[in-house]
Amino acid sequence: MTPDPTTTTTTAGGPARPPVPHRLASTLLGLLPALALLGGATLLVASWWDELPDPIATHWGPGGADGFGDAATNLTLLVLVFAAIAVGMWLVAVLGGRDALHRRIAVGTAAGSGAFGAVLVAGVADAQRGLADAAQAGDIDGAVLLATGAGLALGAVAAWAVPGDARQPAADSPVGGARLPLGSHERAAWSGRATGPAVLATGVGGALLTGGLAIGLGMPGLLLVTLAMSLLVATSGLLTATVDPRGLVVRSALGWPRFGVPLDEVVAAREVEVRPVPDFGGWGYRVGRGGRSGFVVRRGPAIEVERTGGRVLVVTVDDAATGAALLATLAERARPGARL
Amino acid sequence: MLLRIDPTSAEPLFAQLAAQVRGAVLRGEVRPGTRLPAARELAASLDVNLHTVLRAYQDLRDEGLIELRRGRGAVVAERGAADLAPVHDAVAALVAAARGLGLAHGTTLGLVKDALTSEETR
Repeated sequence: MTPDPTTTTTTAGGPARPPVPHRLASTLLGLLPALALLGGATLLVASWWDELPDPIATHWGPGGADGFGDAATNLTLLVLVFAAIAVGMWLVAVLGGRDALHRRIAVGTAAGSGAFGAVLVAGVADAQRGLADAAQAGDIDGAVLLATGAGLALGAVAAWAVPGDARQPAADSPVGGARLPLGSHERAAWSGRATGPAVLATGVGGALLTGGLAIGLGMPGLLLVTLAMSLLVATSGLLTATVDPRGLVVRSALGWPRFGVPLDEVVAAREVEVRPVPDFGGWGYRVGRGGRSGFVVRRGPAIEVERTGGRVLVVTVDDAATGAALLATLAERARPGARL
Repeated sequence: MLLRIDPTSAEPLFAQLAAQVRGAVLRGEVRPGTRLPAARELAASLDVNLHTVLRAYQDLRDEGLIELRRGRGAVVAERGAADLAPVHDAVAALVAAARGLGLAHGTTLGLVKDALTSEETR
């Protein structure tokens, strides 16, 4: 999850966008725990300073520690890298986080990278405590696994705790986007899906590989990675979208996460072409160029919904043109002053 | 896929739904293996009774166009995509001929129905 913070700020000269909500919550849930954990890890490592070798081991290969460097510089850099990620993600949340998905991604990544970095720094130092020569340092697989678990867990909790969006019904304004011919007595529903070859290949391949290694090499800890990979596939490799009088609803193959846009918050709905890497920096739940939130499972057609509060949601899905047109048609029909 | 119903039409709702899926399958717009919306979801989306959707799906299953599997829902059947080009051609020719003679839709459909039933009873 690597959104570009520079593109999420309000553009000067453009239409005035409402202020970003829940800045305090984003700070308390994202920035604060990340900096507190990184600060705590720094103090902990400082208290061990006399026991640490210098230079310390900074890189591990299959045969153990194989890269070494100045202790203070390397540990400080490691802390600063994760602090920078946390601060960057916090900025993404407080400058551009107009919708809940956007804030959840940014706040979760901020808190998660803080936890990951803190456990990693402490683990790297702990593996070398009391050693005269860093070359004797034991492996840090356990620390990396623990750091990954801590990062995912805290990131997930922080993302979950992010406050949702308040309801923001649109004024009686025209709806943007192509329409579908629909008789005034007719009811219509559309559903579409999308499968992501990149996510499926990576996730299924990764799950099989780590599962095989875990059993073959007798490393049960790796099963955690297998589980994470399987969850990744189930939650972000396949999606289903529906458009009906309740609005747009999107959910993963697992049924969760589930989110959407009610009709009265639709300002415009269109079909767009999505290129995952240039537009969103990759696949999954993303914050992309122009502060758009996206559920991106593959390249190609997507429904782009401009919604109230300056929010934009992009969902890659097959037959997006029909879905977008029905969403615009139903949104127009749901406007208070609509003529039926 | 897009499904629509018109509650003011004389045609029953289940028949309207079945006709749209049938048309989409026979025209090749939905491929074999495509999953139709879950009956419960579709009923909620269109604000109709669950049994209306189930009746439409059951009719389509009886025609061999879709398969209903527990847990997997309604899936477009392999057989549904059989080459129907001769039938499409014949239908197009029939429509053209009926139009040329100015036959009412009811008359044309009646002729087709008669032909189908007489074939069955023969």
